[in-house]
Amino acid sequence: MAMAALRREGRLLLISPVSYNSPVARSMINHDNELGLMGARAASTQAVRSRMKSVKNIQKITKAMKMVASSKLRGVQNKTINSRGLWQPFTALLGDAPSVDVKKNVIVVITSDKGLCGGINSTSAKVSKFLYKLTSGPEKDTKFVVLGDKGKVLLVREFKNSIELTVSGLQKIPLNYTQISVLADDILKNVEYDALRIVYNKFQSVMSFLPSVSTILSPETAEKESEAGGILGELDSYEIEGGETKAEILQNLAEFQFSCLLYNSAMENACSELGARMSSMDNSSKNAGEMLDRLTLSYNRTRQASITTELSEIISGAAALTG
Amino acid sequence: MASTGAAVPFWRAAGMTYISYSNICASLVRSCLKEPHRSTAASREKVHFAISKWANGKPESPTIRSDSAEA
Repeated sequence: MAMAALRREGRLLLISPVSYNSPVARSMINHDNELGLMGARAASTQAVRSRMKSVKNIQKITKAMKMVASSKLRGVQNKTINSRGLWQPFTALLGDAPSVDVKKNVIVVITSDKGLCGGINSTSAKVSKFLYKLTSGPEKDTKFVVLGDKGKVLLVREFKNSIELTVSGLQKIPLNYTQISVLADDILKNVEYDALRIVYNKFQSVMSFLPSVSTILSPETAEKESEAGGILGELDSYEIEGGETKAEILQNLAEFQFSCLLYNSAMENACSELGARMSSMDNSSKNAGEMLDRLTLSYNRTRQASITTELSEIISGAAALTG
Repeated sequence: MASTGAAVPFWRAAGMTYISYSNICASLVRSCLKEPHRSTAASREKVHFAISKWANGKPESPTIRSDSAEA
């Protein structure tokens, strides 16, 4: 509801200086015709006053949104930092291979459902477009899985034929692992992949976030990579309980790695979103304050000018009577 | 995605992935908790999102996965 109100007020603000139908513009034209040069009296104080009121309301809304974001951020930040413990062991065990060159790439873009949070969604979209160009080529197939409404809007024009799945409404309830793992399961069942690449904004501080990519290899690719050596090659040196084969273990690991990484990335992105919303709402309340100052100044000036004119009229009238 | 090995674990033979298997195990463990802790743990079990497949550049109508998805 707050957003809708904000949008309405924003539109009012945007339109009023340009359109000649607005009260401000009309009164300007009128007073030019009727009073000539000095007629400061008619620069309608009422229009300025209503402008001031609407700016004040916007400021209230942005301040409230900032407060909401900052109070939510505290909880989410804790959970995010805890969730980092989920991917670190995987990176230690399986390594991260962002440069791996495979045929079927799936780019999982994580964005938010709501706007008014600075540039984090466009950053994600930009990085994933770049990644698309990097991974696509002849005989290669790159698909998108988009989380969040904003990312869908940003990518649908350019890549509507490459989008495989879109997900929305994740943040209606607080993010939790069960939810993300059910989603990860759905994604795995619906796409074919050699490598999954998750694009998200890693949370650094309230002011800054880092667009990042984490890569998950399919079991087959991981097996190929492990034969080539590297961290994955050391997988054989681990002693494994149970009679499972390496392919099975890799498959289980790949699935679990995807759901863990997706959870961490979704948390990081939610955290960055709240941080970005906080700082952008802080900026907009500051801007609204500045605007309000300017409007108050011009309002007072016009009022004073009209008082001065009236006084001088009265005095000159009185002088004419006595003289 | 079916494994080619002879000794496939029973849950994979039933068409589950490791994720859904571990989820079911996790929810069993959660339901073993005593009361004040159980309801806090249950709140971490909620699922809600809408997922839609795309075909030929158009989204199909979304399926909503809500709490019943666990069962």
